[in-house]
Formats: sequence, structure tokens, C-alpha cells
Amino acid sequence: MSDDLLKAATRALREESETDDADGRFTRARVMASLHQGKVKRRTRLAFILPLAACLAAGTAWGSATGRLPALFHALSEAVSLSSKPAEPKPHIANGTVKKAPADESAPPTPAVQPAAEPKPEPEAKPELKTEPPKAEVAASARPTPSGASSAAFQDADGDLYRLAHEAHFASHDYGRALAGWDAYLKAAPGGRFATEARYNRAICLLRLGRDAEARQALEPFASGKLGYRQNEARELLDELSR
Amino acid sequence: MNIGGLVLSPTAPLSESSQDEQNLVERVASADPAAVGEVYDQHHRAVRAFATRLVGDAAAAEDLVHEVFVALPRAMRGYRFESSLRTFLISIAVNHARHHVRSATRRRAAMSRLAFEPEGTSQDPEQIQRRKELASLLTRALDTLPLEQRVAFVLCEVEERTSREVAEITGVPEGTVRTRLHHAKKKLREELSQEGIG
Repeated sequence: MSDDLLKAATRALREESETDDADGRFTRARVMASLHQGKVKRRTRLAFILPLAACLAAGTAWGSATGRLPALFHALSEAVSLSSKPAEPKPHIANGTVKKAPADESAPPTPAVQPAAEPKPEPEAKPELKTEPPKAEVAASARPTPSGASSAAFQDADGDLYRLAHEAHFASHDYGRALAGWDAYLKAAPGGRFATEARYNRAICLLRLGRDAEARQALEPFASGKLGYRQNEARELLDELSR
Repeated sequence: MNIGGLVLSPTAPLSESSQDEQNLVERVASADPAAVGEVYDQHHRAVRAFATRLVGDAAAAEDLVHEVFVALPRAMRGYRFESSLRTFLISIAVNHARHHVRSATRRRAAMSRLAFEPEGTSQDPEQIQRRKELASLLTRALDTLPLEQRVAFVLCEVEERTSREVAEITGVPEGTVRTRLHHAKKKLREELSQEGIG
């Protein structure tokens, strides 16, 4: 019975789906319009892309011929690296142990000036701090020469001060010298490009030197989020200090 | 072969494709709108009939026909004269059918939930009404099938194509087509009995 019904239904569907030409004409017009639109889009794309490609090719050729291409490339890569800073690793705090010293993203250039004298750490009770900077940081700080982009940014004395402090902090782990270096850099360039990072690193030095009160004071602006930099880490460090 | 008043020629072998058809294919591949229009005029009825039977919804079928002919120039670059142009068009329709079938199925389900019945033409005598009901019943039953089985059923049973031709269109072996058809018919019979008509 259901077999007959299936056959009857199949026949009915076949007959029901006969089409009339009115639909056909309408759809034909739609197809033609879509094809035309597609053609126009392709032409428009070509009209934009070809001149752009020609300009790019000509610009590259000109840059290569005049030797300006590498400089342009460096400027471009710097702009890209500035706009997309990598995610900062979190310091791991467990049982009163700070396992990581925050690193600065930019490796400074070759030293040109000697760092200032090291301040003596204040003898105060403090949580034990163990520093194990990640390999990437050490590698970055031990880099002998920075990239062309970084060197362009550090062609002045401020840059040298920053680089020295960075080296003392992350390569030598000499926090007294690093503190002096960060102070010197901040004095020379209080509104400098890396002033925020320098302030944070200075706070870490204070922490490592056991100068907890000063460290707490230095970390507070970071923990409050005023400076928009390493807020969580600063908060965790402050929590650790207040235990 | 006569399907619903349409005369469909059997699959044309490669040797029969004339120089004219080759030229037409080349022009279509280069997205010549006049050539696409020519192909449309020759084959749109067959494509539309298949689309309507497969999708079960006239508006969605028109969208599918539109999509087939818009996609034709690009698809034509892969045409190797191994099947007739009509078969090739139907295979494009099969490849583009999935989301049309899905949306038409959804629409039908929503309509049945709302107990909405589209108004028929006033000239329908009893027989036409009965035919409409049966077609609609089968379309709803088809909605329960997987697309592959649905395509196999529509091509083999509704369009009365040979399993060889369907294998060509769908790009699967004939045995697979027959298996799909078998499962489709079994499921459809069950569905129709559940409706209490069978």
C-alpha cells in the first residue's frame, strides 16, 4: 500500500514541479545581472590592484637602487613590532617565592657609559626572592647588538643608560647596579620611551635588594593600573609583600 | 525520456559534442554572459525541474538555479566533455543544493508548526488538490533523508534517470547510488505510513 502511495507521490511531485517560463525569465535576468556585477567587481579590483602593484614594484626597485630599502624595511618592522607587543609572561609566585624577574621587551644597544654607583640594600625582613629569568629573556638581554630598529631608537645617551641598566638587571643580575642604572636612566629621560618599563624594573630591583617599603611604594602605581603596565604582576608582588 | 512534459535527452557522449558546443563551453568558461544566457535558455527547464523536486520549494529552487548559472563560468573550467552539458549542470546543482535544501526544510518545518498552508490557485479541481497534497507529503518525507539519499531518490525516481547517469552526476559508483536509493525508499515508505496515508 505504501509502495503505491510512494509511486503516486513521486508522480505527483514530478508533475507538480513543472515550471513555467515566467520564473525562468526572471531568474535569467538575475543570472545576467549577477554575472555583470561580477565582471564589474573584477574590473574594479584590477583597476585598483594593478596601479598599486606597479607602485610597489617601482618603489621596491627605487629603494634597492638607492640603498634605502633596508632602512625602510627596518622602519616598517619597528612599527609592526611596536604595534603588536608580545604577551608578557606572568611571574609565578608560590610560597613567598618570586620565580621570575620581569624583563623588558627591547634589548638595549652596546654600552657606551658606565653605570652609576650601586646603592646599598636596606637590611629589612623580606620574603625570599628567587630569580629565574626565562631563557628567552636572558637571550634577549645577552644579545650583543640590537636589531636595526632598536639601534635607531637608542642612538642617544638615554639609550645607553637604559641598555646598561638592562644588562646589569637581566644579564649580570647585579640588582644594586641595575637600580642605579634605572635611576640614572629615569633621571636623564623621565618621560622617555621606556620610562614605564624602567620604573617597573627599578621596583623589582628594590624588591630584590630587600628594600620592601620602597618596593611597595614603587609598585603601587602599577598595581593600581594607573600606568597600564604589568598590573597583575605588581598586584601579586604587593600581596606577597604584605604577607 | 519524458519527464513532466520535458524531453530530456540521454547523456551525450563526448564524441557527439559538436564543435558548436565546444565553442559555447569555451565562451562560458571565459564568463561571456551571452554564452551563459545561451546555456541557460537551453537547459534551465531541466535544472529548475530538478531543483524544485530536490528542494521542494519554488523560491528556493529559483535561488538554486540562479546559483548554478552564476557559478557556471568558474565550474566550466573543470568541464572535460565526459558528460553532457545538462548532466554537468545538474551536478553543479547537486553540489550547491545543501544549504538550499536545509533552509527549505527549516521553512517547511516552521510552516507546519504554525499550521500555515499556502493558498492554492482557485482553479484547482479535486484531483489537482490531491496531487498537491501528495507532492507536499513526499517533500516533507524527503526532508527526513540525508542529502545524498534525497538526491539519489529525486534523480532516480522522480526524474527517472538511470543509475549510471546518477552515478555520473553525483560522482559515486552505481552500486552506491542503488544502495542510497534503497535506503531512501525504505525510509520514505516508513514516513508515509507514519502519516497514516499508506
